[in-house]
Amino acid sequence: MKLTTALLGKTFQFKSLKEVMAKANEEKSGDQLAGIAAEDAKERMAAKLVLADLKLADIRDNPLLPPETDEVSRVIEETVNEKIYGEIRRWTVAELREYLLQQTTGNDEICRISRGLTSEMVAAVAKLMSNLDLVQAASKMEVTSHCNITIGQRGVLAGRAQPNHPTDSIQGMKASLFEALSYGIGDAVLGINPVIDSAESVKQLLNATKEVMDQWRIPTQNCVLAHIKTQMKAIRQGAPADMVFQSLAGTADGNKGFGIDIALLDEADELIRREGTGTGPNLWYFETGQGSELSAEAHHGIDQVTLESRCYGLARKYKPFIVNTVVGFIGPEYLYDSKQVIRAGLEDHFMGKLQQLPMGVDVCYTNHMKADQNDMDNLAVLLAAAGVNYIIGVPMADDCMLNYQSTSYHDIATLRETMRLRPAPDFERWLEEMGIMANGRLTPAAGDPTLFM
Amino acid sequence: MPDQWITSVGIDIGTSTTKMIVSRLKLTRTSSALSLPRYDIVERELLYASPIHGTPLLGEDEIDAERIGELLSQDYEKAGISPRDLKTGAVIITGETANKKNASRIVHLLAERSGDFVVATAGADLEGLLAGKGAGADRRSMHTRGAVANLDVGGGTANVAFFARGKPAGTVTFHVGGRLIQVDPAGTIEAVSPSLRPWLEASGFAISPGQTVGFPLLREICAAMCRDMLDYLARCALPAGGKETIRKLMLGDPLPSVPVLEEWTVSGGIGGLMAAKAPDSLAETAVHGDIGPLLAHALRQCCERYPIRLAQPDQTVRATVIGAGMQSTEISGATVHLDASLLPIRNLPVLKLDISPHMLAREALLKEAAAGVMRTAASLFEQDASPPFALALSGMKHCSYESLQWLSDALAERFREAFPASRAMVVVCENDLAKALGQSLDRRCGGRPGIVCIDQIRVEYGDYIDLGEPISGVMIPVVVKTLAFHNRTVGGTHA
Amino acid sequence: MERTISLERLVDGVLTELEKRIAAAASPGGDEAGGMPLAPVDLFGPAASRVPDPKWEEGVNELIAATPARIGVWRAGTRPLTREMLKFRCDHAAAVDSIYGQVSPAILEQYGLFTVETRYENTENYLKRPDMGRIVTDEGVEKIRSACRMNAQVQIVVSDGLSASAVDANLRDVYPALLDSLKAYGLSAGTPFFVRGGRVAVMDHIGDILQPEVFVLLIGERPGLVSSKSMSAYMCYRPRKGTVESDRTVISNIHQGGTPPLEAGAHIGTVVKKMLEQRTSGVNLDL
Repeated sequence: MKLTTALLGKTFQFKSLKEVMAKANEEKSGDQLAGIAAEDAKERMAAKLVLADLKLADIRDNPLLPPETDEVSRVIEETVNEKIYGEIRRWTVAELREYLLQQTTGNDEICRISRGLTSEMVAAVAKLMSNLDLVQAASKMEVTSHCNITIGQRGVLAGRAQPNHPTDSIQGMKASLFEALSYGIGDAVLGINPVIDSAESVKQLLNATKEVMDQWRIPTQNCVLAHIKTQMKAIRQGAPADMVFQSLAGTADGNKGFGIDIALLDEADELIRREGTGTGPNLWYFETGQGSELSAEAHHGIDQVTLESRCYGLARKYKPFIVNTVVGFIGPEYLYDSKQVIRAGLEDHFMGKLQQLPMGVDVCYTNHMKADQNDMDNLAVLLAAAGVNYIIGVPMADDCMLNYQSTSYHDIATLRETMRLRPAPDFERWLEEMGIMANGRLTPAAGDPTLFM
Repeated sequence: MPDQWITSVGIDIGTSTTKMIVSRLKLTRTSSALSLPRYDIVERELLYASPIHGTPLLGEDEIDAERIGELLSQDYEKAGISPRDLKTGAVIITGETANKKNASRIVHLLAERSGDFVVATAGADLEGLLAGKGAGADRRSMHTRGAVANLDVGGGTANVAFFARGKPAGTVTFHVGGRLIQVDPAGTIEAVSPSLRPWLEASGFAISPGQTVGFPLLREICAAMCRDMLDYLARCALPAGGKETIRKLMLGDPLPSVPVLEEWTVSGGIGGLMAAKAPDSLAETAVHGDIGPLLAHALRQCCERYPIRLAQPDQTVRATVIGAGMQSTEISGATVHLDASLLPIRNLPVLKLDISPHMLAREALLKEAAAGVMRTAASLFEQDASPPFALALSGMKHCSYESLQWLSDALAERFREAFPASRAMVVVCENDLAKALGQSLDRRCGGRPGIVCIDQIRVEYGDYIDLGEPISGVMIPVVVKTLAFHNRTVGGTHA
Repeated sequence: MERTISLERLVDGVLTELEKRIAAAASPGGDEAGGMPLAPVDLFGPAASRVPDPKWEEGVNELIAATPARIGVWRAGTRPLTREMLKFRCDHAAAVDSIYGQVSPAILEQYGLFTVETRYENTENYLKRPDMGRIVTDEGVEKIRSACRMNAQVQIVVSDGLSASAVDANLRDVYPALLDSLKAYGLSAGTPFFVRGGRVAVMDHIGDILQPEVFVLLIGERPGLVSSKSMSAYMCYRPRKGTVESDRTVISNIHQGGTPPLEAGAHIGTVVKKMLEQRTSGVNLDL
């Protein structure tokens, strides 16, 4: 494994793959905070040059976090198809990038080689790609999934209705939900972040969303994003959950910080298959986001792009219905400004798709980040072009419970109209029956939440 | 604090039947771990429902208190409950029974036999409201645009409660009941309730005890009674200047305005009889010696004449007792100030001070308001009662520390001036403020009087309130006894 | 019943009289608010329906009243109406400004709070390097050592954190209510002061210096659009270097529209007392 390069009259010698991976990243405040980022632009380019020439086998043979000590590494290792890996192990990372971008490489080809890739290889290639590379490569990949309905088809942009309320008021939640539905949002999931992490609260919210779904015969799925243990308790008490949710980290220690491990995820997987209300086969909802391992001090000196990719390696095991990266929630110490957020959003979407995940993105920022709503508009358009499966819908982009800004019901409707995208087919048929949508456009009745009263 | 269950009892002593239930209410923290603690009742589970006992009477106008006590003791035993376990609940002496000679003695006796904290109460408005909740009308109204009314029709009265979008929207009571006219299978009138006589007279029906009447006349009376009541509820007749007979059928004042109804339900004994086959003769009518079956049938027929949906209530004959046992209790906020030695407190009249933001920002106005309310209290309540009344405060959503000092100064000083002998002062805040205000008052009073200051309970002028013993030391169960909806809007909702 | 009615009349009488006086007091020219421009929040007024022809008029108002979320806002094509969009931007502007703002010196003076700084250097660095906000400068450490009582039962510290306006808006209510509640429980407070550029874990560093039993840190929260003036109270039993987050007890969202500031202040005393009794805090504290 060659870790040396000469650039602009200077020789750069890196100590390890871990260092090359970190320094090859585009600038991120999180890598700087961890003290692993490139010193300057030159060193960053040197790392990219070294990385470009590394073989995929170099990456696999030099694990950043050995499978013997980390169960996430173990999951990633176990899913590699050895036959396909054998065909590509001598490719350099540069060659992998070019293969992905070839006109002759389509969805089927990518899907096939993805089975021979590890999460670290996926992260490596992302580091060599420009923003537009990430958009183009991702746009080739079609990952569909089915819980109660199918989403992810080419030409479909779904939306999660996120009708959060600061005290979990059922009436308040429904008010936001009705508004979402009236804008044609909610095909990805009716998903609520509860304030109160109790089985009681989860049960009430699941019941309430299910009631609305039943009353108006809405073809979609519900989910309450409490801790997995709380959801399991609620489901065992009879709460109607179509899916289960959990936040993931890219290391076993990071997951420990979330209070989970693979044994627990396996247990939840069995429970949702046995006692969930969703049709399946895809019954999970995962959320991730660059920087969460560092914030839990569980990053093992690995950069945040690579750790994020490892989350997807873990998520893949459970064949989720939806995965989304909550890209700008974590704060400026990990992603400082809109440039870093936009980059991370495109990286995450690409890396997830390349690991065959039905990727959505929470295009978002907090108020202490150097970003504003215009930046979210930009990223949302880029992701729509990249074929993102779904984005988040919050009333006027302002989440009054989580205190951050995401994308709005209006934004999703606008992206659909301007980018010629449609809701999920089953959901669109329902919108037409309700008189909210006709010929792929909102009708004059859309935007009236009292349609559901 | 983990989830808690508290046991609640409901007892309903009606004109013709008496029943009780035991239930348990689940208290769960409903605020996030990062907020101030707040608990709510999130689940209500019925543990035991007694058989429908005939109300034991000693003669026409006296209830057999001893016998009721015996019945309840048996029921407690069957339910496997000791009165000591009961933390809350309500006793309802319904309809005409409340007018019977010894009602207050019964209330007393029941309170003693029903555990340390059971609310004893009477009053048609509260009864109608609880029956409406027991029948599920409040829940049903969440799914309708128009209002839902529940008519709880028993032996002596029909207690009607309106609910709009889940909230109580008024109550009204009629002299409509199955036992108001007692008749034997031969058609001999055995009794006519005095409360019905003015309406009978005004409607041109002349019947009196001893007289023998035919089936058609009774049928006509029942139909007319139902028509008058439903005309009023369906807004087909104005209360004032409308039909004089309607006014005679009403107990108390008419509502300032009647909500537009989309749906109604009928509970109570008569509600339970509505599904039965229509009686065709005097013999079939007088199976219980009264007009009950005939009234039920007349009501069902009459309901069909209005463009209002007749729905099935959750409960019929047990609606009131279910409401009393399972729906009467509220839980105070969990940041409060409690002098536990003063609890429980029963049947405390409420005086309300509605504070506007303007008042809050001005020392003189605030202090004058506090002085004024204490002067009013002094003229109304016993000097040495401990406590003499509960002071309800509303409109203090945005209270500053400075305003709190002004208010505490004035309340502490004026209360001790007005009630020097009282050893207890009770304050009920609508807004989440009780711990700050309670501490502030306590610092000024130093235990004379002791302070009970609770919050997140909404009460109005003229309500009575019962305060239970602390749960886990941080909150108390509260039963607000609403005595009237009438003219509520007057002076009640400034801010 | 008779008694009820006369009671109502009496109270109504009192209220009517008061209303008259209020009207007099609020007349133009004689009020402290005279001449002041309207506050930006008032510019938009309370949330109201923009849906032009809803299926159910009353229904929209019921929905809007049920949530602080921006609903019933309607649209121009698929985009928000101009005023709603500008309202959103105004709220964001307030949030951003509160991060870059400074706590009013008058308020620190009012409560006799002297100021020390962390190693944050400037706001940009503060945002990128939370670790710097956890360490008091050497100069600050000296100041603390010379001015503060050691081993206090309760050490109160105020910090701007991510919102200076949170301190400006809430300290006058939270802080004296907190002192009252400590007094009510017979607890004694050490020498309070203000930390500029503080993060939550700065309490660990100060804890090492002053060794208090219980630490109460009143700190500005990351601003949201609903409120840019929200404060948190972090409480910890014997915080020291290495204290983990789960050892802290938090009351958050303290502002006029959230957790009521007075009640929060009063409740902190209760929490502190339990920490002293149980000699622990955070997840191990039984509240």
